[in-house]
Amino acid sequence: MIEKITPVRKSILANIRIQRFTPSEHKSAYFDNFKVSVETGMTVLEALRLIKNTQDSSLTFRAFCRSKICGSCAVRVNGKPVLACSTQLMPILEDFKKDSVSIQPLKNMPVLRDLVVDIEPVIEKLSKMHPYLMENRERIPETLEEESIMSKQEHSRFDYITDCILCGSCYSACSAASADPNYAGPLTLGKAYRFSADVRDSFQGERMQAAVDQGLWSCAQCRKCINVCPKDTRPAVSIQRMRKMSIDDGIHDTAGSRRAKAYTGDVAKYGQVNKPMLPVIVNGPKGWAAIEAAENYLKKHGIEPTLQVCTLGGQSSTQKIYDKVKELEAKGENKT
Amino acid sequence: MLTYDILIVGSGGAGLYAALESRMEEDLQVGVLTKVYPTRSHTGAAQGGVNAALANLDPTDTWQDHWFDTVKGSDYLADQDAAEIMTREAPMVVREMEHWGCPFSRTDEGKIAQRPFGGASKPRACFSADKVGHVMLHTLYEQGIRHGVNFLNEWQVLSLMHDGQRCQGVTAINTQTGRVHTIQAKAVILATGGHGRIYWTRTSNALGNTGDGTAIAYRAGLPIKDMEFIQFHPTGLRRTGILVSEGARGEGGFLLNGQGERFMSRYAPEKMELGPRDLVSRSCETEVREGRAGPEGEVFLDLTHLGRERILERLPQIRELCIEFEGVDPIEEPIPIKPTAHYSMGGIHTDLNGQTPIEGIYAAGEAGCVSVHGANRLGGNSLLDILIFGRRAGKHALEYARNNSFTPVDTGQEEADAKMIASIMEGESGASIADIRRSMGNLMAEKVGVYRNGKDLESAVSELADLQEQFKMVRIQDKTKAFNTELVAALELKNMLDLAEVVAVGALERNESRGAHTREDHPERDDENWLAHTMATLGDDGRPKLDFSPVTITEFEPKARTY
Amino acid sequence: MSETIRYGFYSGCCFQGADARFFDILKDVFAKVDVELELIEDAVCCGSGVIEERSELTSLAVNAKNMAHAEQMGLPLYTPCSTCYNVISNAQKRMKEDPAVHAQVNEILAEQGLEYKGTCKLTHTLWVFAQDVGLEKLKERVTNPLTGLRVASYYGCHTRNPADIQGYESADNPTSLEDILEVLGVQIVEYDTKDDCCGYHLAWPNNDLNMKMTSNVLEGAHTKDVDLMVTSCPLCFKSMDGTQAKALAQTGKNFQLPVLFLPELVGLACGMTSEDMMLKYHGVPVNLRL
Repeated sequence: MIEKITPVRKSILANIRIQRFTPSEHKSAYFDNFKVSVETGMTVLEALRLIKNTQDSSLTFRAFCRSKICGSCAVRVNGKPVLACSTQLMPILEDFKKDSVSIQPLKNMPVLRDLVVDIEPVIEKLSKMHPYLMENRERIPETLEEESIMSKQEHSRFDYITDCILCGSCYSACSAASADPNYAGPLTLGKAYRFSADVRDSFQGERMQAAVDQGLWSCAQCRKCINVCPKDTRPAVSIQRMRKMSIDDGIHDTAGSRRAKAYTGDVAKYGQVNKPMLPVIVNGPKGWAAIEAAENYLKKHGIEPTLQVCTLGGQSSTQKIYDKVKELEAKGENKT
Repeated sequence: MLTYDILIVGSGGAGLYAALESRMEEDLQVGVLTKVYPTRSHTGAAQGGVNAALANLDPTDTWQDHWFDTVKGSDYLADQDAAEIMTREAPMVVREMEHWGCPFSRTDEGKIAQRPFGGASKPRACFSADKVGHVMLHTLYEQGIRHGVNFLNEWQVLSLMHDGQRCQGVTAINTQTGRVHTIQAKAVILATGGHGRIYWTRTSNALGNTGDGTAIAYRAGLPIKDMEFIQFHPTGLRRTGILVSEGARGEGGFLLNGQGERFMSRYAPEKMELGPRDLVSRSCETEVREGRAGPEGEVFLDLTHLGRERILERLPQIRELCIEFEGVDPIEEPIPIKPTAHYSMGGIHTDLNGQTPIEGIYAAGEAGCVSVHGANRLGGNSLLDILIFGRRAGKHALEYARNNSFTPVDTGQEEADAKMIASIMEGESGASIADIRRSMGNLMAEKVGVYRNGKDLESAVSELADLQEQFKMVRIQDKTKAFNTELVAALELKNMLDLAEVVAVGALERNESRGAHTREDHPERDDENWLAHTMATLGDDGRPKLDFSPVTITEFEPKARTY
Repeated sequence: MSETIRYGFYSGCCFQGADARFFDILKDVFAKVDVELELIEDAVCCGSGVIEERSELTSLAVNAKNMAHAEQMGLPLYTPCSTCYNVISNAQKRMKEDPAVHAQVNEILAEQGLEYKGTCKLTHTLWVFAQDVGLEKLKERVTNPLTGLRVASYYGCHTRNPADIQGYESADNPTSLEDILEVLGVQIVEYDTKDDCCGYHLAWPNNDLNMKMTSNVLEGAHTKDVDLMVTSCPLCFKSMDGTQAKALAQTGKNFQLPVLFLPELVGLACGMTSEDMMLKYHGVPVNLRL
């Protein structure tokens, strides 16, 4: 049946609040309001371009590919880092049940002008992470007559991270990066894992050291980076995997690696983490101070302190799970 | 004055490959000047594949097959010696990328995966899911960091300098500070990409694909070649021109006009939606021209009849793309589309080493024209082109820079460019950049687009001259020095207006239809008169001057191009 | 008489030491809104995401076990801990997306006669109150509206990130906590650090950073002159309340901001006393004008 096509298009007159700042002219950032008729299909980037083209040509933002692959146009919309080019305005107006939306530059980087931030600091951190493949000659042939052989499974260990477009959204969302300017941040550690997990690479030890030095154990696993990544590269998951590699290599003994060993062992032993003893397990003898402080707190409130961990009911059967996993891992059959 | 042995302008695949190649032994200072950050470059947007006859999937594939496919695809306008080099060296550069860590998808045996592609007789497009350009670009950038390539990020190139024989360097403005600099270099490699943006909103290209390198080469007196050949893709999204890939039609999507008719039955009753790109583009355009478009001049790609399940299973990325960029869920309603300018076959004229007629000045990638694509580029050959000729230009420039000293240069050009910028910044009363740009894009799409004819082209040439006049008075409201994106837009517009004129003049002159160039008034290919490259140089009157040079034919005699 | 809602109660590891009081508090507060918790007897610690740093498969198997027990009880799995919620729902998602992994996990569980079917429903305090009990019923049970109290609401991260771990509400603009608070009568105050992470999980590997992050969040709320902060996450509660003095001292700040765990505030609004809520155990004294 042939029927004339009449597309349905909604339209809302919205107030777009944009954070403005030109260092040579303003003491601090302020907001400008622009009225825009937002219609179905309009992206944040289209709105910014429309404002620049018709209302204020000095509005400054970055944009390039406008198809979610170059990472230039990351900004915060109602607080959340997004790519302006692939973010529809209408659903945001509907989600927040308002006819106003705020657009701000990414956080954790200095603002150069309006919505443009200086990404150099992040690129510098990335550069220090040895973010490149160093040829492993056991896997990569000397001549260009042959390619290296890498199985699909080997490839899949890191393929998901190669979607990263260095847009900086995760870095903007990272509270650890806000609090610690030396912390490398999610995208750089993700990249470090990407190369360390590549069987064609020969540089693992040194890169691992760089990762440890730049905050491998400073990630709080809040997982916001997973939420905001426009390419679903799951940086926090890469950080977990990188941590595992650092523990497996046996060289990188850290408070974090001791915690991981303690948690894993405790769950098998008690069905529960041995919290009372954790300070000593993780930090060695100096952990006793923390235990004493905790004991004093309990005594103050009339509770008798104990170093006994309270076991959970499932403890008795947990060891079996561990044994079976070990068996599967030994056979190389782990499907994760 | 900044100094580099080799300066590369542009940080896409061609620029970065050239940089890496010339920096590999770490003996020379190599700089990459880019108006973005390297990983933002448009190479990253290439999704499909890079062609190389690795024979990983089809053991019978050979580089000679690839060679022939390329020449045939070009409608016999490619230089066959250049196409030979490209296809013969293809397996080697793809393996080199692989050895540098490029994460190509793998076959069951763990080799580089390959797949079939339009116009290729064998499955030879090496891919990485749907992101091969992206992973290539990042791999090259990563290795660039490793080998100490210098990057000048967010600099806009202004002028190319030479003394009539040899390269001197360039001038450029640092966008972050607003200051103009002279950069002296023994060799300059222009790798600034294509100029699809002369169609402004009617293109799949990035906002910055404004042909900057091509335009400065043209203004510096270098010949630019085959500019009238622009490839159109039939299914760009209505709002943004972003591509909806052929996969949607391959899966059974229908093309409908505004009245809901499956119009391909008029043009290709057997192949219907699966006809070649150029034919489908022309069919869409005809529907619009004859008044059967949707309410906003669009036609529709309809997937709704495939059903939710099939769309979710087979076309999840295409669905996501339509929701994110067009706000349309293809499960619910037809996708509004328009043909969109996709690739510039023409560019700066070079020899097989990427060198221009001026010693030490090179061009590579979409900015250059060797030519390997002729009148129509084959899918999967653009990524190959940038690797092969980026590498060759880098290698040759390295030898050149090792064996030659700097050519003296003064700050005259820098002063002239600073003056030019000051005068642009003074503009108060004229038309806005946005207005001129929109007029240019609409004009190009209507009169120098999928269909062309002598009358429209003549009027396009004169309207473009008007726009160039308007540009002289262009209004700039932003008077701030640092990070002035309005100024950058003005500089880009100037480049585009120059190139648009060359494209229109070339199209007007070429009285035949070949590859992507379709003249309604000259519908046939004319090998007798037009088996030739168009060479445009800037004339004394400020208008393009056209010459023609023969096509190199070594192996394959021109035949009709049928699929 | 309204119907009682029952959950399989997964307690996690957070209620140890002085925090063991929350077992009773939760039971009593939930009783006020006709919710009954039935302890999942054979549960084990979710591993807090840390077991993944040794073995992802172990973590999945352990949490599949937790869910399998809830499935056997025929009840939704309720956990008060946001991290447990996050880790378990992440395991659920991972197995749903990868049937091979799901099958392997069941192979592991089979040795103890368990199977994780994938039907287990997960929920958290936020959605128990805001959706299952419902705001209307909650409102009925509020006998002591906390009118005039200026409150900073703090979700913490693990019921929000990543977006696809829960199907209850918008991840970018969640409102369940504010919806509940509104019913309790308080005045909700917006503040800049609401979406930031308190860094609790850095307590062992990088305590200094944990303290800085906690201090940042607290300061954001403090500058808005709030009476207290309410959080739906018991681990954030530990950071914000238990380590507040240390965090502020280490970062050179000098103020006190009372912090309540959401069920405590619900209890107070439903007529329970400070004694019932055992507020004296808080690190930062809570003196509410009730």
